[in-house]
Amino acid sequence: MALPWLVKGGIDAALYGQPASGSLVKFPLLILAAAALQGFFRYCWRVNIHGFSRRCEADLRDRVFAHLQRLPLSYFNRVKTGDLMSRLTNDVQAVRELMGFGSLAIVDALVVIVFSISLMITIDPWLTLWSMLAMPSITVVVRFFGRHIFRWSRHTQEQLSALSAFVQENLSGIRVVQAYAQEANHIARFRRLSSEYREKTMWLATLWGIFWPLMQVLAGIAATIVLWLGGRQVLQGTMTLGEFVAFNGYLAMLTWPMMAVGYVVNSYQRGVAALERLGEVLDTPVSPRYRTAATPAGRRMPVPPAVEFRNLSFAYDDGPPVLTGVSFKIAAGQTCGIVGETGSGKSTLAQVLLRLYEPPDGSVLVGGIDVKSWPVRELQRAAGFVSQDVFLFSGTIRENILFGAEDGALERVEHAARVAQLLPAIREFGAGFETTIGERGARLSGGQKQRAALARALVKDPALLILDDAFSSVDAETEEAILRALKPAMRNRTTLLIAQRASAVRDADVIVYLRAGAVIEQGTHDQLLKRRGAYWELYQKQRLMREVEGMIDQDGLP
Amino acid sequence: MIDESFREDEILGKAYDARLMVRILRYLQPYAALLAISLTFLLLHTASQLLGPYITKVAIDRYIAGNDPAGLDWMVGAYLANVLLGFVFLFVQTYTTESTGQRAMQDLRIEIFTHLQHQDIAFFDRHPIGRLMTRTINDVETLNELFSTGVVGLVADLFIVCGIAAAMVWLDWRLALVSLAGFPLILYISRFYRRRARDVYRQSRLVLARLNAGLQESIAGIGTVQAFGQEEKMLARFRSANTEYRDVLLRSVRYNAVFFPLIEIFSALSIGLLLFYGGRLILDNAIQAGVVVAFIQYIQRMYQPIRDLAEKYNIMQAAMASAERIFTLLDTPAAISNRPLAKLPETVRGEIAFRDVWLSYRPGEPVLRGISFHVAPGEKVALVGPTGAGKTSIVAALCRFYEIDRGAILVDGIDIRHWDKQALRRHLGLVLQDVFLFSGDIAGNITLGDSRIEREQLLDAARRARCRFRRAAATGL
Repeated sequence: MALPWLVKGGIDAALYGQPASGSLVKFPLLILAAAALQGFFRYCWRVNIHGFSRRCEADLRDRVFAHLQRLPLSYFNRVKTGDLMSRLTNDVQAVRELMGFGSLAIVDALVVIVFSISLMITIDPWLTLWSMLAMPSITVVVRFFGRHIFRWSRHTQEQLSALSAFVQENLSGIRVVQAYAQEANHIARFRRLSSEYREKTMWLATLWGIFWPLMQVLAGIAATIVLWLGGRQVLQGTMTLGEFVAFNGYLAMLTWPMMAVGYVVNSYQRGVAALERLGEVLDTPVSPRYRTAATPAGRRMPVPPAVEFRNLSFAYDDGPPVLTGVSFKIAAGQTCGIVGETGSGKSTLAQVLLRLYEPPDGSVLVGGIDVKSWPVRELQRAAGFVSQDVFLFSGTIRENILFGAEDGALERVEHAARVAQLLPAIREFGAGFETTIGERGARLSGGQKQRAALARALVKDPALLILDDAFSSVDAETEEAILRALKPAMRNRTTLLIAQRASAVRDADVIVYLRAGAVIEQGTHDQLLKRRGAYWELYQKQRLMREVEGMIDQDGLP
Repeated sequence: MIDESFREDEILGKAYDARLMVRILRYLQPYAALLAISLTFLLLHTASQLLGPYITKVAIDRYIAGNDPAGLDWMVGAYLANVLLGFVFLFVQTYTTESTGQRAMQDLRIEIFTHLQHQDIAFFDRHPIGRLMTRTINDVETLNELFSTGVVGLVADLFIVCGIAAAMVWLDWRLALVSLAGFPLILYISRFYRRRARDVYRQSRLVLARLNAGLQESIAGIGTVQAFGQEEKMLARFRSANTEYRDVLLRSVRYNAVFFPLIEIFSALSIGLLLFYGGRLILDNAIQAGVVVAFIQYIQRMYQPIRDLAEKYNIMQAAMASAERIFTLLDTPAAISNRPLAKLPETVRGEIAFRDVWLSYRPGEPVLRGISFHVAPGEKVALVGPTGAGKTSIVAALCRFYEIDRGAILVDGIDIRHWDKQALRRHLGLVLQDVFLFSGDIAGNITLGDSRIEREQLLDAARRARCRFRRAAATGL
């Protein structure tokens, strides 16, 4: 800060003939000392404020992620993955910039502004007043452009995420795109989105392109005023040349803080918008399943637990009802088969049983009490689940099988893989259980993925096993082999077996037939066959199909 | 669970690679005129920046020291005009630079996307979607930054530094020597800093990639995570990457905190030296005071590019890495070349013949071994067999998702390699094992955006597939 002051001293000493060269040495040395001191303080500031902002950034990201983990699944149906990713990356970064650069710059700017102006006033109050005339307009410009720049940067960000979302979807569905020869179509759509993005970016660039130079113009006008009025004062002898130079120096030092104000306004607005978006995530209430702390009387989940659906009606968000008045019981240790057409609500049954979606009070009972009274830990520990659309994680097969398990003894992994009929496939891979399977298990076939997911559920040795159409990509023989291997341990667990094929559920203790969200038949295989109803029809149809397949096999299809 | 696949993303090479640069510049070629305007105005803006301190000098030495108020008014007018011109120059330069960059990058983005559309399915088996998305979106953005900040910024800096040096020498070579004395030392220090900054930057990108990969996976697989109660485990894994990322960045904070204030000190040192020596020259009446004033302004302006140097270096380096990856992707030829025959049948009868077809996804592991069969037009054929028997592979080979190793597949008596890929597929109706639906409305999913499909056809197809949507009546398809 003292720099221009000392420069003034230096110049005045040189001009107004203090002949001792001592003062010529003194001022440069003082300048250096002042600079060193300033450097030291700047170092401390930077380390503390930037360091602080980095720590905050990490904490914020951590908090949002932790919260995200506990949000209800319906939230993830509404909000795209890409959008959440962008909140956790770009928005967190914007908040960090606000706290780090923003707060550092504003503190720095304020200090410089206050000191410069006070020192300028000591040189010449009137000149200070005149040169500061341009300053209010800087505030106006900053406010005006800040608002518009913010709005347009939001637009461009949104356009960029739309573009990303389009690419992601296109690449995920590339097989469909190519199978239906829709490449040209998608390229045209991409081009449109990309052009829109470019146009929006150009608007933003135009705004910035005016904003920055305008700030420089305003600073330049102040310098012009000083050159004009200050120059006259030097001519009239009311100001020394050194003072004039120092004044110019202070004014030059003010340019940066004035621009920093612009910077900070921008990062402030972005940061606030980002905080708002993060707040939206954090304000979304966590899934109610995580709110249950303990069972009323500290009860433990019985092994195996009984399951009961009691007049269960359910709808996703405010959609149409998916289940209406579903009631049936599964005794502890029994197997319940559920069949029905697609869209009849079978998967929903599995999901409310796991409380991935929230059933109405008292309509789903596990172990004799409302599923909503169990702490989620207890429920998760007891349940093994194979979902319809299998999600595997990148990493090795072993890591995937052990995903939900507490301990990872190799025999248990092997046993689970054997029951799931995955062992032969694993043996074929060079690295065995240590084979990495790529993103979402890309290296595995559809059937292998399902069997890996089954092994993942079985390795927990769950008291409540829920198989949601777990054999859809597995052929009938493998399915039978799996069911046979599952048998020995069946007695010790309650099983909910959702299937397309009647053959999969024929040995179940009770079979439930769902149609349009309602139970239309229930009973054992023999009972239902005698009724000659929907189940009988399904069974006949599928038996016929298998016989035809068998005939083709015998004919020896080329 | 670290996927080795994204390591490739982390290789950061040189900050400047002539071969890559030439190839990048080729994308600018169509916009050469725009670029020329941009560079011209860059020069003009630099000149206007150099002129400001000089006008001040003249005003002081000739008119203030010479006691000429009228002349001072002229100089003030010139100064104001220079400021306003500078505004125009900078605006035109910024706008044209951005416009050039954006246009070139759009071309590149579309080229990448188009290239991806024509890859065979084996390609998508090898390349995770996340990585391909990074190519199309993020890498192109990085490259754009190279234009708007990196290259043009460097050119501008070069102009300014050379211009200032020249102006200094022209004004007074002795003072120029004194002012620039510290420069080599600064360059040395900034080289030292740059190396540190680069290491940190590399490492931070590596950790960030892991952080983001984990993030994406845990969001996409949230249902599985919640069903298995692995929230804590996922959080712990995320936390370790998050902490590592933070610590890497804290290191860079420390480097910056040393470097930037150090530059300020050097700038002050130069001014101190200038004053000491300049003061003597003034006392000896060898120069006038205005020269020293102009020098001070020049020195302050000269240090700005050095402050930005590391940042620009990082941008350059990231951009080169992005360019390398983009070009590697673009250089992957479409494994299935399209060399259609001149004349193809107008209508397709639907006769299919497989003749000793061999197919393997990985070399040496055939999934189809010598398949031969014949399907007459209009025939209904069922393929059955256990999983892994190759049912899907037969369909994939027929669609030409994969190129077969040996044998031939004939549709209507013509080898499918001689069919136009898209023409062939247009005649196929395929329901895949893994059903994939696009976001948007139901109609869009059925037609897949094919505008040639009439509404009647659409409704008929929906009826036949027994699509009964409960809310379809309310909202339509």
